[in-house]
Amino acid sequence: MSRDGAQGASQARVLCLGNELVADDAFGFVVAAQLKQAGLDAVFSPEAGLNLLEAMEGVRRLIVVDTILTGAAPPGTMHLLSPGDLPTASGAPLHYLGLLETLALARELGMAVPSDVVIVAVEAADCTTVGGPMTPAVKAAIPAVVDCVRRLLASSAPADA
Amino acid sequence: MEATTKRITIDPATRLEGHAKIEILLNESGEVDRAFFQIPELRGFEKFAEGRPAEDMPQITSRICGVCPTAHHMASTKALDSLYKVTPPAAARKIRELVYSAFMVEDHALHVYFLGGPDFLVGPQAPAAERNVLGVIARVGVETGKQVIGMRRKLRELIASVGGKVIHPVLGLPGGVAKAVTPEQQKSFQQTAAEAVDFARFTLEAFEKLVLARSDYVDLILSDAFTHRTYYMGMVDARNRVNFYDGAIRVVSPDGAEVAKFPPEKYLDFVAERVEPWSYGKICYLKPVGWHGFVDGPESGIYSVAPLARLNAADGMATPLAQAAYEEFYRRLGGKPVHHTLANHWARVIELLYAAERLQELSADPELVDPNVRRLPTETPTEGVGIVEAPRGTLIHHYVTDARGLIRKANLIVATQGNAARINLSVDKAAKAFVRNGAVSEGILNLVEMAFRAYDPCHGCSTHSLPDGIPLVVRLRDARGNLVATLRRGADGRLLREQA
Repeated sequence: MSRDGAQGASQARVLCLGNELVADDAFGFVVAAQLKQAGLDAVFSPEAGLNLLEAMEGVRRLIVVDTILTGAAPPGTMHLLSPGDLPTASGAPLHYLGLLETLALARELGMAVPSDVVIVAVEAADCTTVGGPMTPAVKAAIPAVVDCVRRLLASSAPADA
Repeated sequence: MEATTKRITIDPATRLEGHAKIEILLNESGEVDRAFFQIPELRGFEKFAEGRPAEDMPQITSRICGVCPTAHHMASTKALDSLYKVTPPAAARKIRELVYSAFMVEDHALHVYFLGGPDFLVGPQAPAAERNVLGVIARVGVETGKQVIGMRRKLRELIASVGGKVIHPVLGLPGGVAKAVTPEQQKSFQQTAAEAVDFARFTLEAFEKLVLARSDYVDLILSDAFTHRTYYMGMVDARNRVNFYDGAIRVVSPDGAEVAKFPPEKYLDFVAERVEPWSYGKICYLKPVGWHGFVDGPESGIYSVAPLARLNAADGMATPLAQAAYEEFYRRLGGKPVHHTLANHWARVIELLYAAERLQELSADPELVDPNVRRLPTETPTEGVGIVEAPRGTLIHHYVTDARGLIRKANLIVATQGNAARINLSVDKAAKAFVRNGAVSEGILNLVEMAFRAYDPCHGCSTHSLPDGIPLVVRLRDARGNLVATLRRGADGRLLREQA
């Protein structure tokens, strides 16, 4: 099996991550809902790590939408990242495998996961308050992120890493 | 408001939120005054629950943990049984335990290979860059890696076929389960269960070969740095054997004697919670013994949960292969109870075997396909407690409602609260061993990470904002509280040290 994903797979999938019950972490849920409303193929998942395997298999390109806490930018800032930008997969994981570690593991095992991964992350402020409201600046970033994902879907060229 | 787009590369030295933090406070002479750990946790759940129908709780609470939703779903479902004072029919209890056993096999297997694996299957002395999942695959082989992933998939299919999506479970109802198991399903479960037992036996053999045959690994398990003489808590069946789904909660003292055994409804008589000024969450201790600070021994109410604690708190395992492994465990580690934190990894393999054998027993039970899977509640709800053993330890759900079943008060005690005090003992011990005269040697990060993974504490993991995988940061503060230095791992796995 090719490390570049399933043979013949050419489509892209949007995987939105988060938890709709938790403040800014509901971001991915809202973005997925808007993309679906526009007739686009978007998947929302509240799961983590290995549990995301099924959602990542069989496509050439994966566009991940998630929140991020870098502390280096104001809430609502959109970051366009490639996997190499994130400092994960370093040393042993502490609690569960991260998204990128799961991808690395799946590739090592010859599974059909995408080689082309782009991450659209929005800087969040509160990802721990259950039932908490979304920070206004984060909420305001929804249209820009939806627009960015639509452009990524429209472009057939792989994202520059 | 227009969102700005900014392309950034996150420098490993960027201060990232959402880390697990170790804070080390020094005294005037530069020695460790005290050290403690902090992990981000979810807030506001109790308030969020207020006013919601109790019957929604098995769905809502399964969303508060992205790692073990099935444990919350099951504890919550049992709390509803208790709340509505209804005992599910035998088939419903068996279906629940079957699903729960499949979940325990899956979760424990992932932990043994991919989380604990880097420490033991790859090895504590291996270069940091190899101590990750890819290092595990290099050690155990691609075929074994595929087997772990394949087993996981089959177990999740089993869970989904009975209970709906793992993250959106529709299985548990007060007084039973949503639907019966068909004979066709049962046949397929038996096949999966047989494979699970083979897989668990293979895992125990691999653990013996790769870990227990190495005297340096065994010495590490036995080393003083990872040893604390505390109380232990776990759920047991009527014959005091480990049970994950149902039974009484048993507590043994540091010398192994039973000091308490109580039904879930009585948990508040035995478990107390306290808040430290620096902690995000509540720390549990044994109420009858009391809180006497961060010390171990019989005078201290500090207790522990999770695999090692469950084995210590029980008299044995209810299935034959797991029982044999249990006896070998205590024979090799010098008798009961075992106080070595790193023995959790071995205990987890034994529990994996038990869960697989239990899955096999239940899948072969003729009563599993009995169509009578629900007893309708007739009593007015008031208050209910449900407890299960989550992979990471005793999990307690407690709801108080009005007569319509709307939540007035919800209290959840997650496994990590039961281990929090003991984890802090480990952190403090590591700090005292690795910090001399204000200088911290790099071994501390390794030691603390290993202790952390052995307990595998839960944290706010239903939020998985990036970067995920919860990295660890050690911060050193002087007697005036000023930050002196920060230690963390860089992208290559090596240690980065920043002097403030």
